[in-house]
Amino acid sequence: MRELTFMAATREGLAEEMARDPSIFVMGEGIGARGGNFNSTTGLYELYGPWRLRDAPICERGFTGLCTGAAMAGARPVVDFMFIDFELDALGELFNQTSRIQYMSQGRIRMPILLRGCIGISGSAGPHHSGNYYPLFMHVPGFRVVVPTTPADAKGLIKTALRCDDPVLFLEHKGLLNVRGPVPDGEHLVPFGQAAVVREGRDVTVVAIALQVRHALEAATRLEQEGVSVEVIDPRTLAPLDTGTIVASVHKTGRLLIVDEDYAPCGVGAEIAAQIVDRALDDLDAPIRRLNGAFVPTPYSPPLESAAVPNVGRIAAAIRDLVAE
Amino acid sequence: MPFKVVMPRLGWTMESGTLVEWRKKDGDAVEVGDILFAVESDKAIQEVEALEAGVLHIPAGAPRPGQQVPVGTLLAYIVRPGEPVPANMESGAERPCRGRPDARPGTPFQPDSTAAQGQAGRKAMGRPAISPRARRLARELGIEWHTLRGTGRSGRIVERDVRAAAAQVAPTAGAPRATAVARRAAEALGVDLGGLAEAAAGRRITRADVEAAASARGVTATAPGEAAPISEMRRVIAGRMAASAHTAAAVTLTTEADATELVRLREQLKAGPGCGQPVPSYNDLLIKLTGCALVLHPALNASWGDNQITVFRDVHIALAVDTEAGLVTPVIRHVPAKSVRQIAAETLRLVERARARQLTPDEMSGGTFTITNLGMYNIDAFTPIINLPQCAILGVGRIARRPAEWQGELALRHRVVLSLTFDHRVVDGSPAARFLDTIRQYVEIPWLWLVQ
Repeated sequence: MRELTFMAATREGLAEEMARDPSIFVMGEGIGARGGNFNSTTGLYELYGPWRLRDAPICERGFTGLCTGAAMAGARPVVDFMFIDFELDALGELFNQTSRIQYMSQGRIRMPILLRGCIGISGSAGPHHSGNYYPLFMHVPGFRVVVPTTPADAKGLIKTALRCDDPVLFLEHKGLLNVRGPVPDGEHLVPFGQAAVVREGRDVTVVAIALQVRHALEAATRLEQEGVSVEVIDPRTLAPLDTGTIVASVHKTGRLLIVDEDYAPCGVGAEIAAQIVDRALDDLDAPIRRLNGAFVPTPYSPPLESAAVPNVGRIAAAIRDLVAE
Repeated sequence: MPFKVVMPRLGWTMESGTLVEWRKKDGDAVEVGDILFAVESDKAIQEVEALEAGVLHIPAGAPRPGQQVPVGTLLAYIVRPGEPVPANMESGAERPCRGRPDARPGTPFQPDSTAAQGQAGRKAMGRPAISPRARRLARELGIEWHTLRGTGRSGRIVERDVRAAAAQVAPTAGAPRATAVARRAAEALGVDLGGLAEAAAGRRITRADVEAAASARGVTATAPGEAAPISEMRRVIAGRMAASAHTAAAVTLTTEADATELVRLREQLKAGPGCGQPVPSYNDLLIKLTGCALVLHPALNASWGDNQITVFRDVHIALAVDTEAGLVTPVIRHVPAKSVRQIAAETLRLVERARARQLTPDEMSGGTFTITNLGMYNIDAFTPIINLPQCAILGVGRIARRPAEWQGELALRHRVVLSLTFDHRVVDGSPAARFLDTIRQYVEIPWLWLVQ
């Protein structure tokens, strides 16, 4: 199978859908002739021109509101926020209007809008460009939250997102953009709400989010040499969240660790833990553990930044600790 | 800092307990895990371990053995060697702060952002901690987990511990072989069965052996009219019986059954190949056939609740067992799914544990129906009291040869009177009567339930 980078695979998915559906257009800062800060639209301007690749001024609330209106009118806007941190400036529009229009119109108005941006702690991006924020959107009814980790999933999920009639957050971890991986030829769609068991194991289940999936896999390989068999699950979409796959895994292993570089309080790990305790208490042989990023604004300093996020060594230590419980 | 030793909470409903005795003396060095003292609560005596190492210091004015005190009451301190001991009891006892106006507010909630650093699992009060998974497995495998030593952090019992215990379970041995009646008689008369094993010379010790030993010793009863304190267990029994008498709409039905075939069945079981297993007693047979009858009459396998009547899917039969300390009702679970031999082995184990006062609350809870048998005391019929919240209880009288009509003739037949007390709130008279009649048929024609 051919190999693509994560970003190239996403771009290919977007290009294919734009070719298929003329109502899709992209709006954001520098996504036109420049091709986007992260090359999210490189080459598309030449194909589809300024009408469908609309450069916007630095005014997130304004162009998010504009795209919400366009979606109400029947278009399929893609809002490219570059860094997802910038989406915070549009939250009023997103929570009060974008997420609620379908409900308030009794479903007569659809909201097929894709909201994309880069997340994650990576490369000294500092406090303003390292946010994750997915729990915010998991918390509000109406949004679908997609966090791919492989090039194939990135392509398959963005294509599903571009055919979805609900607002979708499509979140790309900066540490994954240049990761290469096999991508199937031809039509490739990945459904929402279906987690991937990316490594099978017997002793402990690790649910990891975004870049942490790669770290968890590496930790699992290390631990294999110590005789610990680790199952790694990538939820792929956080809303809807595929709890069934996690329950089935915990039924087998009895132990659960959630690795997420985002903050712990009210986070993905807290939600997963609550659901597993509710649905699979009698499967648990040990307390559910979370390994999260430090509860601080992300530091700029490289040594401090690396101290603030889970890494392979810390994940391995947390797994050993859980197995000893 | 001195570590406080307090009256532990040994069950969810325990509010106070009686300090039975200290197993360590004031000034003794104690290690973690040493037995410190024994507590009587509800229906069991349990031993409490030291959670800290050091020197035991029992202050003047601390509760004395025999005293009943609320949960949380300070009993003693454990101090490090050389550490000054607290001068005396702190003002009042350490009590649970629930509902007290002077309770200290708890520590405010702090988000724990790096939860994976984790804390060691805490030990549940007085009992070993066990993971939910291990507890479920223990239940499934019939493993008594309270006595296991956990290998999880801080001693938590985890799945591997239960699996290891299951792999090691071997048939019990060591106790002298005696009939059930002999055991009961030995208990009542205070005769040590171990001392009779030699005289019995290989055969099972019988009631006659026990009675002979007792009369040789000249056992006498306590003088009448002597006041004795009410034990915790007596209190619990009194409360439950009074509650049942006051709330249930109890009706008792009696019928007489021809037990000749049941007696024959048991004689055949006694005479037949036993595979070295205990011969099922009449109680075991009655438990099994009642379980079969409950499957046909689920309305009697039910309980009364505040807002609903629950009809149970499973049949768990409690057996009333008389012990020196009082009545207990260990539960034989999933009766319809078990063979009579399995039931026999289980009742034997439960009754022995009951007599030794080792039954755990789990072994005494969850029953859906109760059987009580007074036949061995030559009682014909009686009105048993419902074991709330269950719907009904079967009282079994003695099996005795009486003249009865048999195939048109008067003959001497084994007869037994069955008394069913049921709660008329839960079920009406006709279904209860039909249920009792099914039991009568099952007693008279045992193959009916053997083939069910």
